[in-house]
Amino acid sequence: MMLASMIAFDGSLFVERMVNGLAEGSIFAMLALSLVVVFRSTGQLNFAQGEIGLFGAFVVSTLTLSGVPAWGSILIAMAVGFVLAASIERVIIRPIEHRNPGTVVVAAIGLFLGINQLHSLIWGPDARSLPSVFPTGADDFFRLFGAAIYWQRFGIFLLLLVLLGLLWLLFNHTKVGLAMRAVANNQESAGLTGMRVGSVLMIGWGLAAAISVLAAALLAPSAGLSAALMFGPFLSASAAATLGGLDSPIGAVVGGLTLGVLKAFIIGYIPFLGGDMVFTVSLVIILVVLLVRPGGLFGSERVERV
Amino acid sequence: MSALLSVEGLKAGYGPIEVLHGFDFTVNDGEIVVILGANGAGKTTTMRALSGMIPHRGTITMAGAALPSRSDAVLRAGVAQVPQGRGTFTDLTVEDNLLCGAYTRKSEVDEDIERWFDVFPRLRERREQRAGSLSGGEQQMLAIARAMMSRPKLLLCDEPSLGLAPLITQELFRVLEDACRSDGLSLLIVEQNANLALALADRAYVLETGTIVAQGTGAELLADDTIKQAYLGVG
Repeated sequence: MMLASMIAFDGSLFVERMVNGLAEGSIFAMLALSLVVVFRSTGQLNFAQGEIGLFGAFVVSTLTLSGVPAWGSILIAMAVGFVLAASIERVIIRPIEHRNPGTVVVAAIGLFLGINQLHSLIWGPDARSLPSVFPTGADDFFRLFGAAIYWQRFGIFLLLLVLLGLLWLLFNHTKVGLAMRAVANNQESAGLTGMRVGSVLMIGWGLAAAISVLAAALLAPSAGLSAALMFGPFLSASAAATLGGLDSPIGAVVGGLTLGVLKAFIIGYIPFLGGDMVFTVSLVIILVVLLVRPGGLFGSERVERV
Repeated sequence: MSALLSVEGLKAGYGPIEVLHGFDFTVNDGEIVVILGANGAGKTTTMRALSGMIPHRGTITMAGAALPSRSDAVLRAGVAQVPQGRGTFTDLTVEDNLLCGAYTRKSEVDEDIERWFDVFPRLRERREQRAGSLSGGEQQMLAIARAMMSRPKLLLCDEPSLGLAPLITQELFRVLEDACRSDGLSLLIVEQNANLALALADRAYVLETGTIVAQGTGAELLADDTIKQAYLGVG
């Protein structure tokens, strides 16, 4: 079967798999972006990032069930996630972050477990379905090189591009964005230039959470909304962020999309590796990249003159 | 002249270790004051205490009001600092560093950037470069320009000569003096480079192991034999 697919190369199938990979990769990329936003300001990998996003997806579910339109629900849930994460930064992370490097990691693992249990407590153990924000009908597709491209997949990729544009504007053309970059670079100097470092960190955590909520809410319609939804995507996103370079937003996106497409191609073209082995193969590839470039593909190498 | 900054009984340190043992000093409007001290005398600790980077005891009054204790609020009260080791945002471009300096301001930011590019043309040439790629002298220029972008009433400089060639130090001191005379800025410099600093100073204090042991005009201290021996390596 593998031989057959190799010999009779099917162009439209290739494009279809590519788009499917880009759609899932966009979810990884969004999650990886939120990891990078927090990492740049605190130097920590936030293990609870996926769960914060999932919390938002459950909020979306509650809102849509009570009649709020899907788009509106997601925006509200993103705001809820923003406030939740900003509060977590202020109340839990900030008092402990200067004690020693391990404390934040332990706190984040605690948050991961705590929020995960909270989902079951509030919303019960049963999986829910979440409506897609894109048209999901059988003929909601357009043709590209003969391949049927479904809006519910392609739309996710488009949303990633919109998100990137907004983030670029935020970081490069607003005062808040300048302050976030400054605080990520040197907190002490940021304070000396009049920036309220604590507020900037809260905004960073909030922003990361809002992006995670978007990722979870886009993933849930196809994968089903349950307490275990984000385990796999979070691992993939961590791998994507590591691959791209933990301090590089561009790296997070390239890493996420690469991982998504890789996964789709492995499942499609190397069936004997498909299914459970996909993640392992991806990790091996990442390991090889990191052996050659320890900072990740786009991570800064920090050459500095003193 | 009235005191712009007035410090009384300043004590500060790190954890249980007290570095500053309670001393007084003032900086008047438009005045250049130098605190001279050897390594470990408490110069940087003094600067960090003033800018709220470490907690302190004692009274610090700025223009008649208590100086706030958080560094962002200290800046908003008109006190900017050029920290030891420059403290530039190494990942940001030269221009973004200057924009950060103007973070608390809204108008005439572009004009001020041009002004400091005129003062330090080398920064203009490197405006799109990452600050981390600049030389030590250029980084010190950037640090001074960034602090000045907030249009402070008082500028604190922590050992601006550290690690710089004497010619560059001289150039920087000349720029600082010009800014002082033209903008009515007050300047507090801590230094161990006595020669250059005392020549610049209206008044100076000598700090030894956390206490002020001598004070006078720059000229008086330059002529003082014990100062000469301790800080100028003559006599």
